Amino acid sequence: MNSAVDPTFNLASAVAAKPDAPQAPAKIKVENLNFYYGQNHALKNINFEIPEKRVTAMIGPSGCGKSTLLRVFNRMYDLYPGQRAEGMVGFDGVNIVGKELDATIVRTRIGMVFQKPTPFPMTIYDNIAFGVKLHERLNKAQMDERVEWCLRKAAIWDETKDRLHTSALGMSGGQQQRLCIARTIAVKPEVILLDEPTSALDPISTSKIEDLIDELKREFTIVIVTHNMQQAARCADITAFFYLGELIEVAPSDVIFTNPKEIKTRDYITGRFG
Amino acid sequence: MPEHTVSSFDAELKELGRKVVEMGGQAERLVADSVTSLIRRDAALAQRVVLLDATCDQMQREIEEKAILVIAKRQPVAGDLREVVSSIRIANDLERIGDLAKNVAKRVIAIEGEYHPQKLVRGVEHISDLVLEQLKEVLDAYAGHNETKAVEVWGRDGAIDTMYTSLFRELLTYMMEDPRNISVCTHLLFCAKNIERIGDHATNVAEIVYYMVTGQNLPESRPKADASSETTVAFPGRTVQG
Repeated sequence: MNSAVDPTFNLASAVAAKPDAPQAPAKIKVENLNFYYGQNHALKNINFEIPEKRVTAMIGPSGCGKSTLLRVFNRMYDLYPGQRAEGMVGFDGVNIVGKELDATIVRTRIGMVFQKPTPFPMTIYDNIAFGVKLHERLNKAQMDERVEWCLRKAAIWDETKDRLHTSALGMSGGQQQRLCIARTIAVKPEVILLDEPTSALDPISTSKIEDLIDELKREFTIVIVTHNMQQAARCADITAFFYLGELIEVAPSDVIFTNPKEIKTRDYITGRFG
Repeated sequence: MPEHTVSSFDAELKELGRKVVEMGGQAERLVADSVTSLIRRDAALAQRVVLLDATCDQMQREIEEKAILVIAKRQPVAGDLREVVSSIRIANDLERIGDLAKNVAKRVIAIEGEYHPQKLVRGVEHISDLVLEQLKEVLDAYAGHNETKAVEVWGRDGAIDTMYTSLFRELLTYMMEDPRNISVCTHLLFCAKNIERIGDHATNVAEIVYYMVTGQNLPESRPKADASSETTVAFPGRTVQG
């Protein structure tokens, strides 16, 4: 079925073909990736590229492997025995699924935000400082500056600047999620992985996060897994459709949502999946 | 194509398609009746065409409202979206077709009772046959989602243009032959032009059908052969003088 993905398709040039999207080199290169949950073959020979400073959306029905792939990018599976990845996920020329690379280093460069907001039970300020302290030694002034920088980047500074030292748990769900994004940005990653970041949020908070994604792609490469196809259509430059562990189609979102090539993609996005 | 998981979405799309086909039938009838009224000099039939054009306008509004509602409720994508957008665009062309038929009918009423030899309308009758065939074919192509048929219609418009150019020449000649023909022939020229425009709208519909089915646009330039804007017929007397 991988033949369905045109082997000559080149994401970078496809993105470049859009007048508003200049040439984007691949930030992450997935080659012949297979993933297993014990006996279960969850990802089957995946090949594709994630372009730099673009938003790439991964869509597909439950169990299609999109979240699994996101977890591979972050080496999340390392925590669980019996889960293994084979193949190559090239990130600046290094294979991040190889054992030689420490997962902690991968995670500072490739940050992740989850479906439900997961603030630590501490103050807003400490939520951000906690991760930074693991990697860098900053003095008080530098840390203050970093906290403000990432809260501003996550478009939540105005709402939090007067309550930095109150518990993060007192914030609304949408604010908590933006705090989690700020916390991810704080360690200055290159890639941000978003696993259904708005599925637990109200429409206004969702719009704010989508607006934020648009902002963040100037500086970061973003990969988003979403069940909301309109969201993929709105936010993503590139959309990849997965089904039963296989990558069925990957193309600029404009193409996927107006004229998909594969029948499975068409059936899924138009709501014809039984 | 398999059904949508939400079956009422299917029902809405089908209803929209059905309305467009129904409107197409109505537009086709208006064109046929206007031409018949011209050939038979039937002012009563022409009057009916003028009145019935309002139903076409009404249908267009209904299709537009329905399509907007489907977009608002279902946020269609890909083929579904193309189908909804196409229904709006086709309804637009059909509404214009209705207007043009109405204009032909109005002219039939205007030339009622004027000196009107039958040979004058023969050419208009010819071009109408071609255009009606085009209209019927393109509506079939829409109903059957048949892009091949749409391309065929699209490619045949050249023949209509060519016929219009020669008709233009023919009517000018009649006017020169006998000044009593001028009033009728001028109206007939406009009728022929309207009918030729109906052919253009049928071609538009063919382009929309092609886009709806394939997601691709037909090439921008299609075979065009309307040379009437560059056509003149020299007055017979002038050549003698020259």
